[in-house]
Amino acid sequence: MTRTTTLGLPAAAVVFILAAACRGTHADAARAQRDAPPAVRYPSHISAGGTAPRGAALANPYAGDSVAAAGGAALFTAMNCDGCHGGGGTGWVGPSLDDGRWRYGGTAGEIYMSIYYGRREGMPAFGGAMPSNGIWKLVTYLQSLQPPNDVPTESWK
Amino acid sequence: MKWQRTTASMAAACVTALIWAAIALTPGRAAGAHVVHAQPPDDGEWTMPGKDYASTRYSGLSQITPDNAAHLHPVWTFSTGVLGGHEGQPLVVHNTMYVVTPYPNTLYAFDLSKPDYPLEWKYRPAVSPNAVGVACCDAVNRGAFYADGKIVYNLLDGHTVAVDAVSGKQLWLTTIADVSNGETTPMAPFVVKNRVLVGASGGEFGIHGWVKGLDLQTGHVAWTGYNIGPDSELLAKPGQFKPFYDHAANLGASTWPNNAWQTGGAPVWGWMSYDSTLDLVYYGTGNPSPYNPEQRAGDNKWTTSVMARRPEDGSLVWAYQFTPHDSWDFDAAAEMVLADLRIDGKVRKVLVHFDKNGFAYTIDRATGQVLVAQPFVQENWAKHIDLETGRPVVDSSKLTGASRGNVKDICPTLEGGKSPNSPVAYSPRTHLFYVSTSNMCMDYQAVPAARIRGTPYIGANSPYYPGAGGYMGAFEAWDAAVGRKVWEIKERYPVWSGVVATASDVVFYGTLDGYLRAVDARTGKILWSFKVGSGIVGNPITYRGPDGKQYVAVYAGIGGDWFLLAGDVRSDDPADVRAPADFVKDLARHTSRGGLVWIFAL
Repeated sequence: MTRTTTLGLPAAAVVFILAAACRGTHADAARAQRDAPPAVRYPSHISAGGTAPRGAALANPYAGDSVAAAGGAALFTAMNCDGCHGGGGTGWVGPSLDDGRWRYGGTAGEIYMSIYYGRREGMPAFGGAMPSNGIWKLVTYLQSLQPPNDVPTESWK
Repeated sequence: MKWQRTTASMAAACVTALIWAAIALTPGRAAGAHVVHAQPPDDGEWTMPGKDYASTRYSGLSQITPDNAAHLHPVWTFSTGVLGGHEGQPLVVHNTMYVVTPYPNTLYAFDLSKPDYPLEWKYRPAVSPNAVGVACCDAVNRGAFYADGKIVYNLLDGHTVAVDAVSGKQLWLTTIADVSNGETTPMAPFVVKNRVLVGASGGEFGIHGWVKGLDLQTGHVAWTGYNIGPDSELLAKPGQFKPFYDHAANLGASTWPNNAWQTGGAPVWGWMSYDSTLDLVYYGTGNPSPYNPEQRAGDNKWTTSVMARRPEDGSLVWAYQFTPHDSWDFDAAAEMVLADLRIDGKVRKVLVHFDKNGFAYTIDRATGQVLVAQPFVQENWAKHIDLETGRPVVDSSKLTGASRGNVKDICPTLEGGKSPNSPVAYSPRTHLFYVSTSNMCMDYQAVPAARIRGTPYIGANSPYYPGAGGYMGAFEAWDAAVGRKVWEIKERYPVWSGVVATASDVVFYGTLDGYLRAVDARTGKILWSFKVGSGIVGNPITYRGPDGKQYVAVYAGIGGDWFLLAGDVRSDDPADVRAPADFVKDLARHTSRGGLVWIFAL
C-alpha cells in the first residue's frame, strides 16, 4: 500500500522528538492523574431528560500553541498515526482528521479521549504508550489543521 | 441445501457431455504449436477460489460463445448489505451458491434450485471490529473453500471457521492470528486432503509472516511454517529444502541485519495452488517490513518469494525470491498457476506468476528454476531477469531508501503491474493467460520507521500517476511459453478484477468503473459489457445451474486498495469526507461503494 507521511525526519531526529515529547516529569504525572478519566461527552450524544451527565472537564494545556502543534505533527509521524490516517491526517484506512468532521467529537477533550483509550475499528489506545503531554500536543496539532472549504459538494465541471 | 439429482440436472449432464464430445471432436481450434490435453467434462461447479488445484479459473462450460455472448442479461441480483471491497468470488456446490461478505464476514447460502434463489440460511460470526482498522487496505475477504461438506473461510480478525455446508451450523472456529500484533486474515483458506492452509496479512505492521496447516475435521493447528527466520522455523529440513539458486543454510535469518526478520513482514494474503503428483503446495509471500529498505540490509529472504511446501507437515521443499531486498513493496502474493507448456520444444511442468514487479515468470514447478521472465507491463526498475542466477538486474537509480530522498518515476507502482487481488485465468485450449493489469508509475520517498506494536510499520510516501500511453490499465492475453503479449484491451482505469476463461473461448473480467465484460479469448474483441452498479474488484465465475444452463456470477463492490486510493468513492460516513486522489480525480464520478451479487445468463 502507498503511504503518505508528512515529515521525512532522520531517525535520530525522531528519537529526539519522541524523547522530548514523551519524557515524563512529576508535573506531567500530576497532570495526567488530574486529567484522567473524564466523562465521554460530545455533541452527537443525546442526554435523557435533556440533562447532561456530570463529568470532569478536560482542558488542553497547549491550546493554540503553535510550537506544541509542531511537536504534535512530529509525533503524528513518530507514533505511526500517519500510517492509518495518512500524511497530514487526510484519511487512509483510518478516517480523515482534516475534514472538520469527527466521529467521536472534535473538542480537545474528546480528541484526547479518542487517542488515550482508542476507538472501535482498530484505533489503538495510546494512553499506555505516551504521556499526557504528548497526547495534548497531538490534539493541538489536529485542531490546527484547516478543513478544506469545498468538501460537502464535489464537482467535476 | 438440496442434494438430490433432479431430472433437470441429469438432463444438463447429458447435454454437457454431448457438447463436450462435440468440442473434443472439433479439429483445429486449439493452437497447433502447443500441447493439447484431453479435458474431462466440467462438473459445472465452483468449489474453490481458483476453480481447480492448478488455479486456472478455467471452466469446461461452453454454452456462452463468442457468437451469442451479446445476448447475456442479468437474471438475479442480491445486495450483501455491506459496503467494503468485494474481492473474492462466490462458490457453487450442489446447486447452492455461497457468498462471504467483507467484514463482518457474513456467509450466505442461496438455493439455486428454486425460483428467486431464496436464502437457505446465513451464518453471522462474531468478528472484532478492531480488525477493520488493522487490515491495511479495507476489510476485504477473498472467499471460501468447499471441502468434505464444509465451507471453510477466514474471519478478518484472525480466525478460521468451518461451517456445515447443508445446515449452516458452525463446526469449528480456530484462532490463527493476533490482531493486536498487526495480523489480519482476509485470504481464502486452501484445503488439501485433511489440511486447511491459511496465512495472515500484516506487511504494513511488521508481522513475522507464516502459513499454518489446520486439521480439516477439528480445526486444530497441526503445523506453523514461517516465511522468514532460521531454517527450523521455516520447516526447512536439512537435505529436503533445495532451492534452485540459493544453497546456504538459514538464509531466512542471515539475509537480515540484527534479527530484523522477527518483524520483517512476509505476509501471506493471496492464493494457493497444489500439484498432487509432486505433492507440493505453492504460494507467494508479501513484502519485507518496513518499506524503507535501509533498515533491513540484505536479500530479506524469503519475502517476495514463491514457497513450495508439503501440505501434510508443512516441510519446505524449495523457494525462489522474485525481488531480493525489495525496495518498492513488490509483494509476490499473486497466484501461481500450474500449467504444462511446450517450451523450446519440450513439455515442461511449470507454474506461471504475474508479479507486482511487472515481470511474468514461468518456473519449473518441481525445481524452482526460472525458464522465462519477461515484463508484461511497462517497468523500469530492472533491466531484465538473469536466468543464470534467477536475480533481477536492477537499475540502481531506482533503488529507494531514506538516504536517497524522493526517487522519481518508478514503474510499476507498489499496487503492482498486476494486483495480486486479481487472479489470472489460463485456458488449456488457447494456451494463453488472461491478465488484469495496471499501467501506473510512482515516486517513492522512504523515511525511517519505528515499530510500535499494534501500529503501522511502513516508512514510505509513494504518490502514483498514470504510466505512458494515456491509460491506467489493460486486460491482456499472455503467452507464458515465450513471454509475449498476444493482445490487449486498454482501459481508462487500472483493471482490478479476477478472470474466468471458458471452453467456448470466452473470457470475463470486470472494470474499476463497474463494467463486466465478455471477450473473445482468441482475438481480444469485446463481445458484451454490462454496468453492475459499483466497480468490480472481485473475480467472475461460471457454473451450470440446476436447469442445465450456464451462468456467470460476479460481485460488484469497489474497495480494497481503492477504499484508500479513492476515498471519495464512499458516501457512508458523514465524519469522513475526502478529496479525490490526484491520479483518479474522476473515478467517483463513475462509481461508488456498494456490495452486490450479480448472476447473468443467455
